[in-house]
Amino acid sequence: MAVGVRHFVRLKLRITANGLRGQTWRVVLFVVGAVMAACTAVGGYALLSVPGLLDDQRAAETVLPLAGAAVMLGWLFLPLVFFGVDESLDPARFALLPLRRRTLIGGLFVASLAGVPAAATLAGTLGMVDTAARLGGPVAAGVQLAGVTAGLLLCVAISRALTSAFATALRSRRARDLATVLLAVLAALLGPLQLAAIAGAENADWAGLGRVADVVAWTPLGAPYSVGLDVVAGRAWAVPIKLALVLATIVLLLRWWHATLERAMLGTVGHSGPRERTASAREPVAQLVPRWLPQTRFGALAAREMRYWWRETRRRASLITFGVVGVFLPIFIAVSSGTAGAPTSILVFVGALAAASLANQFGFEGSAYAANVVAGVPGRVELATRVTGLSVYVLPALLAIAVIVGVVIGEPGTVPSMIGTLAAAYGVGLALVLPISVRLAYALPDTANPFALSSGGGMAKGLLSIGALFGAALITVPLQLAAYLADDFWRWAGLPLGLLYGGAALVLGLRMAGSMLDRRMPELLATVTADQ
Amino acid sequence: MTVPPQRSSPDLALALRGLVKQFDTKLAVAGIDLEVPAGSFFGLLGPNGAGKTTTLSMAVGLLRPTAGRADILGYDVWADPAAAKARIGVLPDGVRLFDRLTGTELLAYHGLLRGMDADVVNRRSAELLDVLALGADNRTLVVDYSAGMKKKIGLACAMLHAPRLLVLDEPFEAVDPVSAALIRDILQRYVSGGGTVVFSSHVMAVVERLCTHVAIMAEGTIRLRGSLAEVRGERSLEDVFVEVVGGRTATGSELAWL
Repeated sequence: MAVGVRHFVRLKLRITANGLRGQTWRVVLFVVGAVMAACTAVGGYALLSVPGLLDDQRAAETVLPLAGAAVMLGWLFLPLVFFGVDESLDPARFALLPLRRRTLIGGLFVASLAGVPAAATLAGTLGMVDTAARLGGPVAAGVQLAGVTAGLLLCVAISRALTSAFATALRSRRARDLATVLLAVLAALLGPLQLAAIAGAENADWAGLGRVADVVAWTPLGAPYSVGLDVVAGRAWAVPIKLALVLATIVLLLRWWHATLERAMLGTVGHSGPRERTASAREPVAQLVPRWLPQTRFGALAAREMRYWWRETRRRASLITFGVVGVFLPIFIAVSSGTAGAPTSILVFVGALAAASLANQFGFEGSAYAANVVAGVPGRVELATRVTGLSVYVLPALLAIAVIVGVVIGEPGTVPSMIGTLAAAYGVGLALVLPISVRLAYALPDTANPFALSSGGGMAKGLLSIGALFGAALITVPLQLAAYLADDFWRWAGLPLGLLYGGAALVLGLRMAGSMLDRRMPELLATVTADQ
Repeated sequence: MTVPPQRSSPDLALALRGLVKQFDTKLAVAGIDLEVPAGSFFGLLGPNGAGKTTTLSMAVGLLRPTAGRADILGYDVWADPAAAKARIGVLPDGVRLFDRLTGTELLAYHGLLRGMDADVVNRRSAELLDVLALGADNRTLVVDYSAGMKKKIGLACAMLHAPRLLVLDEPFEAVDPVSAALIRDILQRYVSGGGTVVFSSHVMAVVERLCTHVAIMAEGTIRLRGSLAEVRGERSLEDVFVEVVGGRTATGSELAWL
């Protein structure tokens, strides 16, 4: 019997179900995630059917391509920043099976359609079909349905191909810098879109926004979502061209995906080849612990964490992603919002995002944590050193972000208070994330793809990080209010107040999470040890 | 410390009493009592899935037992973990090392983690790397080591702080004969110097050659225990093992298509 697509889909569903079995909190997370996805889908549907209800063709022609492009960009970025990709079907596991590449890629592709995000996207974008039906009758609706389906395929293809390409790129030392640049360029793509959105919102310049939408409608990002409207507008000739454009893009993306997968499956499974380093004449302890750290238990733990943030692909990937997102996002917001001053809420987001890297800190090294359990490292020391290890990278980055944003918005005087805001958000974020990392750790699959998560893991990762972000935003509300309402006061008081606020939160969080960890070390070890 | 830690029977290196581990549906360890005299070379034998790793994990504080207690040199592992853990070295099986460090860095890490002085760590690390033929100036990451080298660096990490009890889970698995001979020598020297070794294995030849005491586990219980001579009697250890565990013997009629 030939192996078909349905085998992959069934395997994926079976693995998802088995992953949930007997894991109450995973089931809870899954349900919460599914409910949130359903809400998003319903909201999306409602929003996208509005132009149809209003019977406004021009509005539809503006909203649909832009909304479609936004969905597409979401599929592109959210996996890299928040969710990872559900790699319950690890491509490397298929390396030994006699499968033709077409079967394998097709199967993996369709299997990744069988999931909550894809279902939610489809349901949400069906609102466009609604609009098309109201504006142009059943023919337009049918064409739009085809477009929406093609759009979904394109979304999944984009996210798969890109995460896989980045995974491959991040593994090799030479390509790593290139990958960073690429990621930056991708993030930069957000810029024009934001400018357009904000220009549209500020000036209610529908004509200008419409022109942008008309262009977007002819790119692969917006094309699948505008075909129904072409029928409405009597441009039926555009439909086959646009669909062909989309299909060609999908095929190219799948080819690309396949190429990177093959490179990952052949040659190196798990890691790049042996890295020969030049011999070092230094003493063993000096090789591990940098000069500015004490040669003690604390120093050893912090030094090991520092090494891990750079040497382990998963951590390096999240560090690089944070660096790029953290620098670009505030700058774009600052630039596009023009005169609004320091973008406080975005800075809070960035600070908390840095802390969110620790949300599953114990999952990163998995069972290796046993060494610390056997040595009986106290919880507070363990967590404090982990915070130190991350902060070595994050604090300079936060400083740089504050300075760059200050220069870009032309108000260098706000740099100290922005540092204060970032520090407060980072501290509060850590305070929230540390207990999460102890209580809600989960095992990560042992694969080559740093963005890969076992089934259900994507939901967990995304929800935990988003929860921490929201929490941090809530807890720093007093500071944000101070920044908005008392601009002059905040300008000089922001730095000390922010540092104090963040520091106090961090101390509290460390205390709480530390004693929590002391009580649950063996249980934590068991949860992060990947099931064999 | 205000209250002196309670010590029970310090002449036993390891004492397990009524140790039980129940996983969701499976009873992995069904009540184990085991006494390992100080200064002995103790082999824990059993087929795959007998519960050896589970038992040893509970004994060293890596896995919380459902019931029972474990004492290391008289200190209760679960009531006074700090005192107990300071006195043992552990080589877990199927557990990753912090393998993004080089071998040298890993040793330094373990030494400092045990609160040792940096100078002592430096001296002992260099010596261990040299004796175990891992190369003191080798800057390869442990993740790129061969399986045998990983075992050896794991053993070095377990011995670095000169513990009085070594608990080794499958120390000879995936180790080449030359390295195995080296590890045997080192362990024998360690025991003759007053240390105690508890290790699990299913390689009978190694056990017969090294151990003073053995226990045979199957299906979560200890089936047979005692000094090597008592357990073995007149027969070979392998015969005793197969008989106790109750393995099936091939008749020759199955798998005819092979």
